[in-house]
Amino acid sequence: MRLTGVGRRYGFGGPWILRDLDLEIPEGSLLRVEGTNGSGKSTLLRLLAGIDAPSAGRITGRPRTAYVPERFPAALPMTAGAYLTRLGRIHGLSRAGAARGAQEWLERFGAGAYAGTPLSELSKGTSQKVAVAQGLMGAPGLLVLDEAWTGLDRASRGVLDEAVRERVAGGTRVVFVDHDPGRLAGEAYAVLRLGGRDRSAGAGDHSAGPGSRSAGSGDHSAGPGDHSAGSGNDSGGFGGLSAGSGNDSGGSGGLSASAGIDSAGSGNHSGGSGGLSAGHGAHSGGSGDLPGGPGNYPASPRNHSAPPAFEDTARSARNTTVHIVAEGPAGAELPHGLPGAAEPLGDGAVRLTVAGPQTDDTLRTLLTARPPWHIRSVTEAPHP
Amino acid sequence: MIALLRYQAALFLRSHRWLPPLLLYGGSMAVGVQSGQPVLDCAGWAAATLLPVTAWLVRVCVTNEPPAARDCTAAAAGPWRVHLAAVAVALGAALLLAVAGSGIVAAVGDPHTADRRAVVPMGSATAAGLVCAVACALLGTAVGALCNRPLLRSTAWAVPSTLLATVVVLFAGASPANAAVTGLVTGSRTGVVHVPLLPLAAAGALAAGAVATACALAARRT
Repeated sequence: MRLTGVGRRYGFGGPWILRDLDLEIPEGSLLRVEGTNGSGKSTLLRLLAGIDAPSAGRITGRPRTAYVPERFPAALPMTAGAYLTRLGRIHGLSRAGAARGAQEWLERFGAGAYAGTPLSELSKGTSQKVAVAQGLMGAPGLLVLDEAWTGLDRASRGVLDEAVRERVAGGTRVVFVDHDPGRLAGEAYAVLRLGGRDRSAGAGDHSAGPGSRSAGSGDHSAGPGDHSAGSGNDSGGFGGLSAGSGNDSGGSGGLSASAGIDSAGSGNHSGGSGGLSAGHGAHSGGSGDLPGGPGNYPASPRNHSAPPAFEDTARSARNTTVHIVAEGPAGAELPHGLPGAAEPLGDGAVRLTVAGPQTDDTLRTLLTARPPWHIRSVTEAPHP
Repeated sequence: MIALLRYQAALFLRSHRWLPPLLLYGGSMAVGVQSGQPVLDCAGWAAATLLPVTAWLVRVCVTNEPPAARDCTAAAAGPWRVHLAAVAVALGAALLLAVAGSGIVAAVGDPHTADRRAVVPMGSATAAGLVCAVACALLGTAVGALCNRPLLRSTAWAVPSTLLATVVVLFAGASPANAAVTGLVTGSRTGVVHVPLLPLAAAGALAAGAVATACALAARRT
């Protein structure tokens, strides 16, 4: 499946939500789409799912597709089982296969008892299970999940994670957006990062490459400091936090990563080396727009030094005190609810002193704040 | 496509949103089709009534699915197929009404001209009435397809536009619906039954064009 120069805007002469996006999604790939609110994540997912047609460019080779929305308050006048059976038929299953699939998937999500309940009477979470079951039962070639985990209970989120892994292993392309930066950590996935709407007016520069990641190894997908604007954010892998909440402005005018995705391929950033899988995938032209070029930026000094520091800290963080030096966007206040003590360092940065076990949560809060904070360093405090 | 039609038909039937347009049809028929009235006048009235009713049925069908559910169906089958299935279900319902209405007209209509002097052959009068009703159903489908999602998304535009378009299509001189209904009413005066095949063909072409436009735009705007 390939996207060529894809753009989308609403109305004539409206602002471009997405522009000049080139993307290749091979079979069995898992793609995470990231970006701030309004950066076009949902729009991209709708384009990929074929719900929406691009205003510019082409999408070719789309296989049979299933889409799972974030909320499914579908007050349809039928029972959950009947709805799923009908959707299964639309997905191309036989009558018996659709009925069986409906029951199986509902049971797998612990909602088998609701097969005979009208959709309008289901709770929010159970409706979401129906939506997810709808997406999974048809064995699609492309599965698009727009924050599909939202509203599911913990067990069901696990079931969905597992189902996604099964599907990817079976060759399905899975594209997802999720606000939890740890979602599907442990899987090798590529990240497509979308810039903000305000920046989308420019030419399509390429701000992110793919990089298949394997979480837990403290990899990180984009180094912040190296991007000239400095508002880039760390997506550091710290312990379980494998987030890329990065907001690569990189000084480039545009959004739209042009990412060749190859989850099996190179680009495993442990130690900051070779992450950007230069050489494979479709960095179609213009990749030099990024200061230093994509091939270069994993090699920048900051990237070299940061990951090992993070990892070391992660290992020893359990029974120590940790200093986190973070730099916020201009004028931003520290997010509420941070543990420990904070002291300003004078140059806009703040040093937080927290207990080791609280480090993960603190970093998560900082990185997922809107706008996110930039983490300068995480170091173990000297023993008193 | 069959599965999609079944799904849309199930949604349509179970939603009970067909009830208001059906009541409109029934009420109008009760007013205009009464026992002992000339059969061709009745047939013309029944056909003209069907046009706004069909446009309403199309609106019911294309707005029946909540957006989240529509997205799921659209991803599975393609937005234009989903839209086509919805419009087809509405047209199917309208054609059922056309047949039922023609049956009622044949049952209660008086097989004479308006001045009761000449006999109108019942068989050809019913056939002419049915063809006219089908032409009106097709034009109602065209109006409904053009005056609702995806072309006009807000109710504030869709409903007045549908009303206005219905009036225009019924009364404009060049309209096939006007030609067909006028043919029946004229036949009721002269006693010559004229089966409106040409207006039927024109209505079919217009409906096809309108539905094709709406389906082509189904993925353009959401």
